[in-house]
Amino acid sequence: MTEPARSVTPQREPDLLAQLQDLTSNLRNALDRFRLDARLTALAEKEIPDARQRLSHVLNLTDKAAHRTLDLVEKSGPPAERTARQAQAIAAPWARFRAGTISVADYCDLIARLDQFLTTARTDSDTVRANLAEVLLAQDYQDLTGQIIRGVMNLVSEVEVVLVDLSRLAGHEPGAVADTRDEMNRGTGPVIPGVDHGASVVNGQADIDAMLSDLGM
Amino acid sequence: MSKDMKFLVVDDYSTMRRIVKNLLHDLGYANVTEADDGNTALPLLQNGSFDFLITDWNMPGMAGLDLLKAVRANDKLKKMPVLMLTAEAKREQIVEAAQAGVNGYVIKPFTAATLKEKIDKILESRAVPA
Repeated sequence: MTEPARSVTPQREPDLLAQLQDLTSNLRNALDRFRLDARLTALAEKEIPDARQRLSHVLNLTDKAAHRTLDLVEKSGPPAERTARQAQAIAAPWARFRAGTISVADYCDLIARLDQFLTTARTDSDTVRANLAEVLLAQDYQDLTGQIIRGVMNLVSEVEVVLVDLSRLAGHEPGAVADTRDEMNRGTGPVIPGVDHGASVVNGQADIDAMLSDLGM
Repeated sequence: MSKDMKFLVVDDYSTMRRIVKNLLHDLGYANVTEADDGNTALPLLQNGSFDFLITDWNMPGMAGLDLLKAVRANDKLKKMPVLMLTAEAKREQIVEAAQAGVNGYVIKPFTAATLKEKIDKILESRAVPA
């Protein structure tokens, strides 16, 4: 049996088809890239700088609220202490008065102290109560920062989708990235539930104490 | 140890410095100075006569671990008690801090009782020579 002679035309057809497929695929990739590029440009030029500005505003709001709260707590300490001190000073002569063993001079002194205590305790309590009401109001940042952070979270999700698409187009497979030595030295920040977990992270102060104890501290 | 001890509190967040300063005041330690990272803390430590260092880990400029290493490498400062007060919670980091010579490690968020307990423990171990 002799092999049938190959005709030129049927051999060129699959080549042409393959080339056409390549071309279509390249065109689709180019269109995908173009779509991604346009979105990336908008993200990079407008939305990410905006997000940075928004997060900076969150920092300012939380910083201000924390300082305002600390101011009020520091302002509330002295009047609360004064009330406690004056009550303490009255307790002993008052007990003697109740027992009927107080001297006339101490009785006069007790009356004067009681007069002063009743006045200052009222004004000091008013001050502390007003400060507590302001501490309450200082927590209003939570509502505003919550809304801003949620907006930025949505943006981060979108950036994630675009970057994963880009990475796929470039032919990369997503994989885990380990902490670099420098990051570890500098510190990686607080543990985030759902992000940092497992055996590499301690579970609270008791865990650290046990670890340090094992290390001989 | 006396209540006149000089504390240096190093944290990049002024609110955290105020919180620690207030807690130290409540514990009777009135002599508290603040610094916002290792770079500002180190000259203060070298030129002052501090008795106790409380430092955060994660700070811009010089981080707390590097500050700890610098303190331990300095002849004048190497014996200073250092308490790390930080959110860093990786086991590897705690081992590293211990190896660098930290005297105590308190994880944020923390309580006033924990801070007091760790300071007392460090001071007690200093008072009784091993």
